[in-house]
Amino acid sequence: MEQILKVEGLCRDYGKGTVTHAVDHVDFSVEKGEFVGIMGPSGSGKTTLLNCISTIDTPTAGHIWVEGRDITTLKQKGLSRFRRERLGFVFQDCNLLDTLTAYENIALALTIRKTPAQKVDALVRETAQLLEITDCLNKYPYQMSGGQQQRTAAARAIVTEPALVLADEPTGALDSKSARLLLERFELMNQLRQATILMVTHDAFTASYCHRILFLQDGSLFAQVERGNQDRKDFFRQIIGVVTQLGGDQSDVL
Amino acid sequence: MFSKLAVKNVGRSFRDYGVYFLTVAFGVCLFYVFNALETQTVIRYLSSHQRQELVGAIQQLIGVLSVFVWFVLAFLILYASGFLVRRRSREMGTYLMLGMERWQVARLLLAETAVTALVALAVGLALGVVLSQALSVFTAGLFAVPQTEFQFSVSLPALLRTILAFVGIFLLVMLYHAFTVSRRKLIDLLRARRVNQELKVRSLGMSVVLFLVGCALLVVAYAMLLTRGLLRVDGLFWVMIGLGSLGTLLFFRALSGFLLRLCQSNKKLYYKNLNMFILRQFNASINTTYRSMTVICLMLLLAIGITATSVGLNNTVSQMADQTIFQDVELVAWPEEEGDTLDLAAALEAGGFDPEQQCSSWTTFPLYQNEAGEPCLLQQDYDAYVSAWGQEPADAFLESWGARIVDGEGAGLTALRWYFLADYAGDPNEAEQLFLQAAGYIPDTGGYQYTTKQSIWMDLMGTKVLVLFIGLYLGVVFLVASAAVLALQQLSQAADSAGRYQVLSRLGVSEKMRGRSVDIQVFLAFFLPLALALVHAVVGMTAANAVIAEVGRVDAAASSAVTALLLVAVYGGYFLATCWGSRRILRAAA
Repeated sequence: MEQILKVEGLCRDYGKGTVTHAVDHVDFSVEKGEFVGIMGPSGSGKTTLLNCISTIDTPTAGHIWVEGRDITTLKQKGLSRFRRERLGFVFQDCNLLDTLTAYENIALALTIRKTPAQKVDALVRETAQLLEITDCLNKYPYQMSGGQQQRTAAARAIVTEPALVLADEPTGALDSKSARLLLERFELMNQLRQATILMVTHDAFTASYCHRILFLQDGSLFAQVERGNQDRKDFFRQIIGVVTQLGGDQSDVL
Repeated sequence: MFSKLAVKNVGRSFRDYGVYFLTVAFGVCLFYVFNALETQTVIRYLSSHQRQELVGAIQQLIGVLSVFVWFVLAFLILYASGFLVRRRSREMGTYLMLGMERWQVARLLLAETAVTALVALAVGLALGVVLSQALSVFTAGLFAVPQTEFQFSVSLPALLRTILAFVGIFLLVMLYHAFTVSRRKLIDLLRARRVNQELKVRSLGMSVVLFLVGCALLVVAYAMLLTRGLLRVDGLFWVMIGLGSLGTLLFFRALSGFLLRLCQSNKKLYYKNLNMFILRQFNASINTTYRSMTVICLMLLLAIGITATSVGLNNTVSQMADQTIFQDVELVAWPEEEGDTLDLAAALEAGGFDPEQQCSSWTTFPLYQNEAGEPCLLQQDYDAYVSAWGQEPADAFLESWGARIVDGEGAGLTALRWYFLADYAGDPNEAEQLFLQAAGYIPDTGGYQYTTKQSIWMDLMGTKVLVLFIGLYLGVVFLVASAAVLALQQLSQAADSAGRYQVLSRLGVSEKMRGRSVDIQVFLAFFLPLALALVHAVVGMTAANAVIAEVGRVDAAASSAVTALLLVAVYGGYFLATCWGSRRILRAAA
């Protein structure tokens, strides 16, 4: 399998003098077409890790390779280009542009990559169909439900066929039904489009949709579980098991 | 401790204070320049030539206008500081949360206001002194006033008045700050940023219809103005103004929707780079800004119109003086008894004005009346007139009386009035001085009057100086006011859309592209009102020139140049400051 993401000896420190190691020597890799989750209690460094991978933050030490290219050495201009062309994002808070319709929000990801105008429509509609948002393409974000908004964000993230889709607590602000719908679409995206997804969550249910889960604690990798051939419910129980093993406040994790 | 925090705050929020600072400095500068008129070469020239009352009147009028200007500036500065306080609501909230007393927070704001105000006042006054000199040189050139050697002068009374006026405004600002801090609830302060602008969606089809209606109204108003002229103030005049204003309002109200519709129909343009985003941003903001855009467009029209007309009018001064009187001096005297002989030249010489010495050419002659009561002029007097000034003015003189030329020595004719006409030789100022002295008393006449080219010119100039200064003063104040309001609106919009730019940044839109998007939006906000105002002004000036052309020629090139220069300096300055400020706000957010 082709390796999409490789993280090696990644460190991110904060502060001077008494240094906090938000991310402390993390190594892992993600293959093409994988759906990987990162779990951990708050303060475990999962968002910092994701920010480093998404080039929003710069690591203190270590390297990150995406499709064989070391993104820690990229300059400002290259970073924007890299984000634009190789990454897709889904965040917890609504990150759609409120002045644009759903259709235009998805199309924007294409136009900033200078996709020819005549190709835009077909790509947007095809992706919208996959995420079942065809009906609300002409609506503005505030006219849509939270679930529809998140699926629109997901559509925007994959319409450019990025190497890697990064999702930060995508279900965090959704009710359980919308969350389930979104996660099912993530699975579809993964299966039909071979989208490689890296998702940060602290919710075991959300995590149970992944193929593989990395557990972070105090900035270091603590454990790793793979779904293999189990069904989702068994996998969910396995995750709960690891979560219980993890130190710290359990209620925080669940 | 507080002063330290205040100074640091000013430094830190310099990008927010930028426009505020600029506005205060411009205001101070303007206020000083027009209150320090006595340092102007033109004014000095007028008052050194027996026109003190005129100068007094000009200064009085400017003084009254200054009160009006003071209100405009006070409103503007209050508006600007309101914007600043709104931007910092959260910070105020945090101070209160930390347990600072309300009066302490108010004091902090006061200290900050004082720091900015002091610096802006100093910069504005320095700028004012320099600009005052520049204006002096410019107007002296405009009126062809002989420039005595360059004198650098500062008007202390004006300095004092400006300082007083602005200290007054700052006190108002401080009161306003104290009031807002004491009134606002903590929860509102802390949440200020989360209150989102309500997005209204309006039908795009409707926009297109409204836009066309607006354009149609404007065309009707233009047609009325051009066919009816500017000066017929009747019922229809107000209908015309109303149509024009309503047309402008509809134009701005519907413009963004119209543009959006237009661009959407061209997929290649719409789905290119950030075009979609920029148009949508513009469309979203127009609902809150179209009213102010209309007002600003009309203010700009006033500014352009006033400046251009007043500058243009001035260039007609010397031409008008030329038309009214042909010779440098014209003296008319009536004999005590009809038919008596008067020797005006001798009388003037006795008074210390020797025509032989002081004049390059002169003549004195009587205008006769024959028995039929018709005015007559002797052939020899006519010949003397022609030899001194040529055929044309001599014939014009005859025509003005309907006089006929008669031969002979004037037998059977009665001398009605005696003329003395002359052109000065040498220094005209000195000759004029001597003439005025001599003409102060001429004995043995039944009454006399005189006009000199210089005095007519001086009176005309006085009026024109008045028009010019008032025009420039009001024009620039309107310009500064509109530009400042626009700038503040754009900056607060930039602050409101910081979140959107953050999303764009995450999606991988480069800083260059984001900056370009900001610039385009600021550009649209600044130059759409200006563009329409320019169209209005061109039509209006065409009508105005038709009026002015009746009294004199308008130097369109010079007036356009001055107006353009002012526009570029003030409006352009605000435009650049706004681009810079918006970019900084958004860069900080991303």
